Parts: sequence; C-alpha cells; structure tokens
Amino acid sequence: MLTTLATLATFALAQQTDTTVPVRTGARLEVSNFGGEIAVKTWSRNAVRVVADHSSRDRILVDALDQVVRVKAEGGRRGPSQVDYVITVPAWMALSLSGVYTDIKVDGAQNEVRAETVQGEVSVVGGSGNVSLKSVQGSVTLEKARGRIDLNTVNEEIRATDISGDIAVETVNGDITLTQIESANTEANTVNGDVSYDGTIKDGGRYRFTTHDGDLRVSVPEKASVTVTVSTFDGDFSACFPVQLSRKSKHRFDLTIGAGSARLELESFNGDIHLCRPGQVMKPEGDHHNQEH
Amino acid sequence: MKDQWTDRLSEYLDGELAGSERTALEAHLASCGNCRATLEELRRVVGRARALDDRLPTADLWPGIAEHIGVVSLAARRARRRLSFTVPQLAAASVALALVSGGAVWLLGGRTHAPTATAATEVGRRPAPLINASAYPTDPRYAAQVAALERALQRGRSQLDTATVRIIEKNLKIIDRAIRDAQSALVADPGSAYLNLHLAQEMRRKLELLREAANLAGARS
Repeated sequence: MLTTLATLATFALAQQTDTTVPVRTGARLEVSNFGGEIAVKTWSRNAVRVVADHSSRDRILVDALDQVVRVKAEGGRRGPSQVDYVITVPAWMALSLSGVYTDIKVDGAQNEVRAETVQGEVSVVGGSGNVSLKSVQGSVTLEKARGRIDLNTVNEEIRATDISGDIAVETVNGDITLTQIESANTEANTVNGDVSYDGTIKDGGRYRFTTHDGDLRVSVPEKASVTVTVSTFDGDFSACFPVQLSRKSKHRFDLTIGAGSARLELESFNGDIHLCRPGQVMKPEGDHHNQEH
Repeated sequence: MKDQWTDRLSEYLDGELAGSERTALEAHLASCGNCRATLEELRRVVGRARALDDRLPTADLWPGIAEHIGVVSLAARRARRRLSFTVPQLAAASVALALVSGGAVWLLGGRTHAPTATAATEVGRRPAPLINASAYPTDPRYAAQVAALERALQRGRSQLDTATVRIIEKNLKIIDRAIRDAQSALVADPGSAYLNLHLAQEMRRKLELLREAANLAGARS
C-alpha cells in the first residue's frame, strides 16, 4: 500500500516541459544538469526543441540568446534537480553539455561537442572540430567523429570507433579500444587496463600507447613505414608477422618497418605487447582486462 | 646503454652546447639510435612540462601556493627554469609543474569556499586521509606537495558524495601501486629511461587525479 501511494505521489509530481525556440546559425547549446540524462539528437530545422521530464517543483529554463541557447533547471530552495532531457538541435550546432549524476548521449552532431559528467556514461555519435568527452565514474564512447578528440574517464573503459584526427585518450582503471582510426597523432594511456588500436599508421605520424597493468594490441598495416619502440618490465612481445628486433636496453627494443618514418611507442609495465595486421587486433567481445571494482 | 653524450642531451635540447660540441653530438646522434630515442623522450617530457606550465594560474595566486606547499616563488622558478637535468630529474620536473598547476587550481576553488568546507569537516567525524603521502620517502618534495594537495582535498571532501570519494580513493590506490612498482623496478635498474619516464607519468597522473578531485570538491562547495 505504501509503495502504491509512493508511486502515485511520484506520478502526481511528474511533469513534462516541451519548448521549441528558433536559433541563428552559429549559436551553441549549453545544458547543465544535476541528475538524470541529457539526450541530444539532430534535425534539419534551425530550432531547438527541449523536452524535459522533471518534478513539478522544478522549472526548466530555456534561455535563447543570439549566440547561445542555455538550458537548465531551477529547483528553488530544494536544491539540484533530477531531469531527463531530450533536446533536438540543428546538426550544425556546437554542444556544451555538463552534469553530475547524469548520462549524456548525443547522436548526429556535426560540430564541436564538449560533454562532462561525474557519475554517468557519455556516448556520442558524430562531432567535428574539438570533441571533448569526460566522465569520472562512467564509460566514454565516441563514434564517427573527426577533429581534435579528447576522451577521458577515471574508472571505466573508453571506446572510439570510426574516428579521424588527433586523438588523446586516458583512463585509470579501464580498457581503451580504438577501432577504424584515421590518425597521424594518437595517444592512449591507462593504468589498469588493456589498450587496443586498429587504425592507420601514417608516414611521419606519432602514436603512443601505454598501460601499467594490461596488454597492448596494436595494428600495423602491411605497407606502414614506422619505427616501433617497445618497452616492458615484465611482459612479452609478439607479432603476427616477421619482425627484426633490435634491443636498446634491458627493458626496451626497437623494430623498424619499411623506412621507419612514423614513430610508434608501446609501453606496458606488466602486460604483453602484440602487433598484428588491421582487423586482427581486437579481442572477442567480453574478453576484458580484470578491471578493479 | 649510456654513453658520453647521454648526459649532454638536455643541454643540447636547451641550446646550451658550444658549437663544436653541438656538431659532435649531432654527428653522434646520426649513428646512435639509443641517444636519438632518449632525445625524443626528453623532447616529449619537455613538451608536456611546457604544456602544463601553460595552465598556470594568474601570478597573484602563487604567493599563497608557495606558502602553502613550501616551494620557491613562481618568478624564481621561471627565472631558473633551465632544462639541464638528467633524464630522471627532467621527468620529475614535469611532475612538479603538474603539481604547481594542481595546487593552484585547488586554491583557486578552495579559497572562496574555505569557511564552508572547514565547518563541514569540523562538525563531522574527520575522515581518514585519502592516501598516505609518506609512501614516497625517496622524494620528499613530491611527497610534501602531494600531502598539501591531499590536505586541501580533505577540506573539501565533505562536498563529494561517498561514491565519488570511493572511486577517487580506489583509483589513487591503483596509481600508487603503479608508482611503487616503477620505484621497485628502478632500484634494480636506476638508469632506465623507460622506467624513469614511466614513474614520472604515473606520478603526474596522480597529481592530475588529485587536482581533478579537488576541482570537483571546490565546484560543489
């Protein structure tokens, strides 16, 4: 009975706000949320539609200025709010999304995307220019983006697929999986996790993949021109193709493929390092490093 | 392997070698892959250190930071900032720069809200320190600076929810373990460029996480 009453009370307090405002080309969207979700999708209209599910005690503020549309909730003295937003924007609109206990999802963005949350997942499809996604306790996933890519979390995995541009990826306790990458400058670091890279090795490019306690699996295309530096304290090295190793020190050796114009640095303190051809480096689904929980 | 030029690479990077020495070193670099690799690593560390330096706050914050963590002034640091160090020293320099940035960011957020954070800590049970900075007896300056950041974070800890604190603590422990592993490995192989840089990377990562945690606490207070 009490549960029923509580449920009824919840429904009684639930409210939906649905607002659409016109925007000028070049305007950006800024959304800040405390708890809940921010889901952004795109359409071809030069307008922003905000649909928000929230408590009737909260008020959703949509502030449409010349160059920016700001969306936030006002909860009065009761403090921060829990709001689920579904926001539809023009595909050209730059996005700046932030939350605390908030999941962030974006689909179809064609401009800059900045998304930050503390406890929540960040998942973005699209984006160009500066794309910066960040969480503390939550996975970060990016697909179909190009530009300067910066992906960061602390306690979960990071996945990036079908990306072109300069890429910087970092987590502490989680795997990093980069697939279908077109980049001349990629760096990915974790402490406790595996790193997988399946993408281009461009002439003159710079690539650096490091982990402390995990394995590295990196693809090198057949016609690549790259100098590979492998460093490990307590791991093994293997390759799917013949390589000539040149030991430089107790924990480091080099190998050169082709003319060696690109530079690929691979470091795993405790784990194994494996080179393969594109399409061969990914582990089977579900085969993750033993992440600490 | 270390040769006569290994310890001169930072001077070379810094443009401090005389013309003849520079020419000789460049000739040596053409035939020594080890030195080329070390030089490349030094460039990377310097690049990172410079990038961190770019994030320093406005100068007026520094006196407070210096007093707080007991280090020389920013002006003095900048005046003396030369890159004539060994590989380990240079690696440590990048960590120090990260710390300066981290400490400054904390003070920037913490000063404004200090009364609230202090009051919250005093009325509640004093929580255990996030980590034990004395784990790094071989580098007292680093330990002291980490401890300063931890104390600052401790004051804002009540502003973070327990789940976030737990995650931060867990990940600091993961990084600490990596630091200890690297330190142990360096005992057996102190000249290893890889191990030195790996240690520096993990130390810097710890500072960045502490700074991020402090930022979170500051933003929420």
